[in-house]
Amino acid sequence: MGLITILMLVLLAGAILSLLTKTTAQARGVALVSSFGALAISILMYLTYDANFNTITNYAFEESGTWMPSIGIGYHVGVDGISLPMVLLATIVCALCAIYSWSEGKRPNQYFALLLLMDLTLIGVFVSLDFFMFYVFWELTLLPMFFLIGIWGGPRKDYSAIKFLIYTHIASVLMMLGIFALYYFHGASTGFYTFDIPTLVNAYKDGILPISQYWLDFIFITIMFGFMVKMPSVPFHTWLPDAHVEAPTIGSIILAGVLLKMGGYGLFRVLLPMMGVASTWFIYLIALFGLMSILYSPFAALAQKDLKKLVAFSSIGHMGFISLGVAASVLAGMDPARVVAHTGAMFQMFSHGIITCVLFGCCGVIEHHTHTRIIDDLGGLTKKMPKLAILMVAGFFASLGLPLCSGFVAEFGILSGSYHTMPIFVILAAISIPFTAGYHLWAVQRTLFGPYNEYLGDVKEIKWYEFTPLAIWVIIFVILGIYPAPIIDMMQTTTEYFLLSGDILPIGGIHVPPGGAVPW
Amino acid sequence: MIPLQYYLLLAGILFAIGAYGIMTLSNGIRLLMCVELMLNAANMNLIAFSTHINDASGQVFALFSIALAAAEAAVGFAIILMVYRLRAKIDIENIKLLRW
Amino acid sequence: MMDPNLTTIDFRMYAHWIVLLPMIGFLLELLIGKYWWRKGGMFATLSIFGSMIISYGCLYNVYVQHLGFWEYSWPWFYDGIVAGFVVDPLSLAMVCMVSFVSFFIHFYAIGYMSHDCAKNVYFAETALFTGSMFGLVLANNLLQLFIFWEMVGVCSYLLIGFWWHKPEAAAAGKKAWMSCAVGDCLFLLGIAMMYTIMVKQGITSEIISFNAIFQNLEHLSHEALFGVSALTIICILFMCGVLGKSAGFPLHVWIPDAMEGPTTVSALIHAATMVTAGVYLIARAFPIFLAAPNALMIVAFMGAFTALYASTLGLVVNDLKRIFAYSTISQLGYMIAILGCGAVLGVASVAYALFHLVAHAFFKALLFLSSGSVLHGIGNIRDIKEMGGLLKGMRWTGYAMLAGALALIAFPLTAGYYSKDRIIEDAYIYATHGGDLGYMVWIFLVLGVILTATYTFRAWYLAMTGEPRSYPAIHPHECGFWMKTTLVVLSFFAIFLGIITGGGKDFWHFLEETFVHETHTATGIYPGLNLHEIAHLGGNTLMHHGAHPPSWVIYLPLLLMIAGLAIATTVYYKNRIDVSKYVKKDNPLYQILWNKYYLDYLFKDIIAEKIIMTVFTFWDVLDRYVIDGVVNLLSWITIQSGQVSRKLQTGIVQNYATAVIFGVSMLMILVIMIRGG
Repeated sequence: MGLITILMLVLLAGAILSLLTKTTAQARGVALVSSFGALAISILMYLTYDANFNTITNYAFEESGTWMPSIGIGYHVGVDGISLPMVLLATIVCALCAIYSWSEGKRPNQYFALLLLMDLTLIGVFVSLDFFMFYVFWELTLLPMFFLIGIWGGPRKDYSAIKFLIYTHIASVLMMLGIFALYYFHGASTGFYTFDIPTLVNAYKDGILPISQYWLDFIFITIMFGFMVKMPSVPFHTWLPDAHVEAPTIGSIILAGVLLKMGGYGLFRVLLPMMGVASTWFIYLIALFGLMSILYSPFAALAQKDLKKLVAFSSIGHMGFISLGVAASVLAGMDPARVVAHTGAMFQMFSHGIITCVLFGCCGVIEHHTHTRIIDDLGGLTKKMPKLAILMVAGFFASLGLPLCSGFVAEFGILSGSYHTMPIFVILAAISIPFTAGYHLWAVQRTLFGPYNEYLGDVKEIKWYEFTPLAIWVIIFVILGIYPAPIIDMMQTTTEYFLLSGDILPIGGIHVPPGGAVPW
Repeated sequence: MIPLQYYLLLAGILFAIGAYGIMTLSNGIRLLMCVELMLNAANMNLIAFSTHINDASGQVFALFSIALAAAEAAVGFAIILMVYRLRAKIDIENIKLLRW
Repeated sequence: MMDPNLTTIDFRMYAHWIVLLPMIGFLLELLIGKYWWRKGGMFATLSIFGSMIISYGCLYNVYVQHLGFWEYSWPWFYDGIVAGFVVDPLSLAMVCMVSFVSFFIHFYAIGYMSHDCAKNVYFAETALFTGSMFGLVLANNLLQLFIFWEMVGVCSYLLIGFWWHKPEAAAAGKKAWMSCAVGDCLFLLGIAMMYTIMVKQGITSEIISFNAIFQNLEHLSHEALFGVSALTIICILFMCGVLGKSAGFPLHVWIPDAMEGPTTVSALIHAATMVTAGVYLIARAFPIFLAAPNALMIVAFMGAFTALYASTLGLVVNDLKRIFAYSTISQLGYMIAILGCGAVLGVASVAYALFHLVAHAFFKALLFLSSGSVLHGIGNIRDIKEMGGLLKGMRWTGYAMLAGALALIAFPLTAGYYSKDRIIEDAYIYATHGGDLGYMVWIFLVLGVILTATYTFRAWYLAMTGEPRSYPAIHPHECGFWMKTTLVVLSFFAIFLGIITGGGKDFWHFLEETFVHETHTATGIYPGLNLHEIAHLGGNTLMHHGAHPPSWVIYLPLLLMIAGLAIATTVYYKNRIDVSKYVKKDNPLYQILWNKYYLDYLFKDIIAEKIIMTVFTFWDVLDRYVIDGVVNLLSWITIQSGQVSRKLQTGIVQNYATAVIFGVSMLMILVIMIRGG
């Protein structure tokens, strides 16, 4: 049994045990042991991971076995330089969330069980190398989140939970259509029915599927739709602000911090190799989705009155950078710049996952202590909560792309690396920077600074169990901003394998026929 | 020997009567009787074909079907009895709480 | 452990500690500063003192011991992006100035901020501010420069809004950031373009280090973007960043509002750590600007225009600190303008700009700190109309401010005289070579001189002489030891810096070595950099030897300064002319100046509030009702179609039976038809 299986079993056992407990203290104890155990295992994986894996085998900690051999479903898990940081992210976020919900009093056993289940399913998505497992975990992530929103959520929780479930589920079902098409075409042409992700993706990429371009595009676009809704990309984003507004703080943190990354992860794992075979204008479409998100989010965010909704829109913008970076990096151009753009996009996944936790955590603290999130009702909170002020300023500044925080490293990489293939996109994306700065500063100014709003009454300082996880997240993104090598080196190796080896994408990138790339 | 067609014609007529009854009647007991009619039409077909091709398995099926009809009648009458106790009527037009 | 003979230490190896020490000071101050000496201030001041020692050690190594210039780097993130430090005359001049001035501002702040309850936070932020400026100055590549450029920005935001409970302070901080952010995003775009064209040249290590860029200028100058020379576009984008950070027109609007912060912060921003960053960027990237056609012309014109523009605004403001703030914008305009004149003057213009920058740092820090002392002494009144006669109660402060003011107006023998008059003379030489626009630059700069003298002494006379015009001004109290010491030290340098440096010549010669290495290429950082050839790439022709302007040009600034001084003396000291006749709301000229040419109004009321907020509101409607509307419409359609179709489920058994029988019959007919009966 490999480390990945143990990791998942630890969380599963924790979830079941937690469900059997009676009090908050018991459930919390189980959740802390289990989630920190998972964190320890993932750190162990990180430490023993060999960055040069791709000279030996494609995936580290790989385990494969049969599950339902008659229809080609296997148990196949493994990590590489893109999924291992995601596993690390999921375990870090969920473990710290367990601390953050120290005093959860409402149905604590179910709450912590769902938290652990969330962790488990997210890790399942990131480590699966079999489409069936991938899809099962992909759908399973909806369940804990649905219940977290639906039971512990705000006043409109029913609407939001159902909207979240149905919207993302429809996208997943479309994605499933694509996966099934891939499965059947592959099986029909080779006589070997399998759901194995590398096998199927390679078959698609190598062009051994005896199907027309129409079907290839169909497969690509259905899978892409699934990922774009999950990221979420404008204009498929409307489930996200609603879900965030009604979700409990933990739900928001995991939703924005890790769950959205599933879409980005799918982009790297599944769509990237396919880009060389599907029509080239899809690449521009992905970039366009990214650009729309980048440009859209600051405008929408500034119109919000609810602090949490503002933060939710900031997530949309930051996820847009990932699409842009990936799309720009696959096109033919200068290899060093492509690697930088691609690594930047990968790093943005990790970096945004950490930074957004601080933002939502601060929103949660403000809501918990002042019982409101409406920006106009807040003001001068620094007077009562100086520690929160430091954390929140750090988080918001990191989010607006301040250098020496991890977000800057990622966004600089994406902008610089993408410029040579998509200059107009990058110029337009750069224009969003002042607006992004604008709404972050506006929110900070109206929330923390200015005279204290006496209507809020006597607000207490942030609690230790809220402070600790937030502070750890801040430390992580500052350290990664100053010295990103621990994560970025691993990603860069994988990036070079993806972009330069010829195994995943054509060497030199995808050549776009002059004038014929974009149909419009 | 009576030709096969006669049996089939009789069974067809029986089936048609049963089907007509189901479509038009509303009394529960009459409905059950019509169902029985249709079942018996099917049984008759089974037996007629089984004699025609000299294979006994058709008759075995007919026996199964009769047993089934008995069970169905038992359950059906029990339901109708319950409905009668609740509503003092056995008009199935009144039993539509589960629609929509 | 420590070598007793300090002269044998090679401080250049420790240049990165110049940056790191204040960062450590920041952390210590933030975490434990509250529990130490005077509840904060010790770690920050000491760490900057440490940086100062290393800086002057490096200066000693390079200037006295001739150990040569130094550059070293470590790989950072992504391939080819490094963290590097460069010790050359340009960066040395800056770090020595910044550490010295910043140290004394910290020293002063120990007294000035002694009553503030969040003193440790203040000192933590100023330490970070100074450390970031060191990082910016010592950076050997564009990205590192940009990173610290932004760090400087964030520190200024935090410090301007240090008294966060005042809404104006919080808003001023935001305004400062927003003005800079507009420039910075373009600057970042410029860096991305530079990165791209450098990668295109096949550069793989230290891709955007200045050295690599300078070595490849010849190839880079062939690159074109959208039909224009790529270097010109990049330089214009850099220039936008400079306009934001160095408060050039039209992004200068944040500077007056930034006076909401503590006065020591204003001094830091204006003298040492923030606004000089833009000038430094152009100086550091000077060969790039030189190789880019037309770039320096734009720089010169924007600088000169800003210089004149800001000095007209200084005439009408009544806030003591804001008058000096406008003078800063104006003086930065001079520096930027002379850098633009580099298209003709070559590296000399960098030397002139830097000398004025250093001189300006001393006298502007002095002016702000003395006005801080005034504010401290009369209870935070900033309006000069409510001061008057302060010289009687505050002799030290008053004469220190006089020293600063004399240096600012370039009174003979003060530091400003040597630095600014040289700029104006050389602008004339530029004009004789640079065509009509060149004359415009020179005229703007010359006109600025008379205005500078007038508004500076208007402030000094109104504040220091005459009768007290408010109750607090009757009994001002003089500042204490910490502040007084600082004022004396800075006054000394404001007056004597020019004389110490031999009328600036020593400084200029030292600075000119930055980019000229033919004489000792072995130690040069930029080997083979020939500015004459680079200038040809940009279509510029450098003068080979310093031409001398006619003597009337040399004496003109002096005469104009005396004229401006005379006007100020007549009006505000002797009170011969009653200005209140002209300073009225119905005077259209006064109206325009008072409203700062309506630029704030345009930015804030029209663009920010009317246009952008309308767009945002519209956007929200779009998001809520159009995009989400489509989603909700789809679900509504689904629900409605369910509402309709569920009516089929009547609940009447006969209907179902009929449907079943009908369906089965249809199927049978279908089967028969398909199988052909």
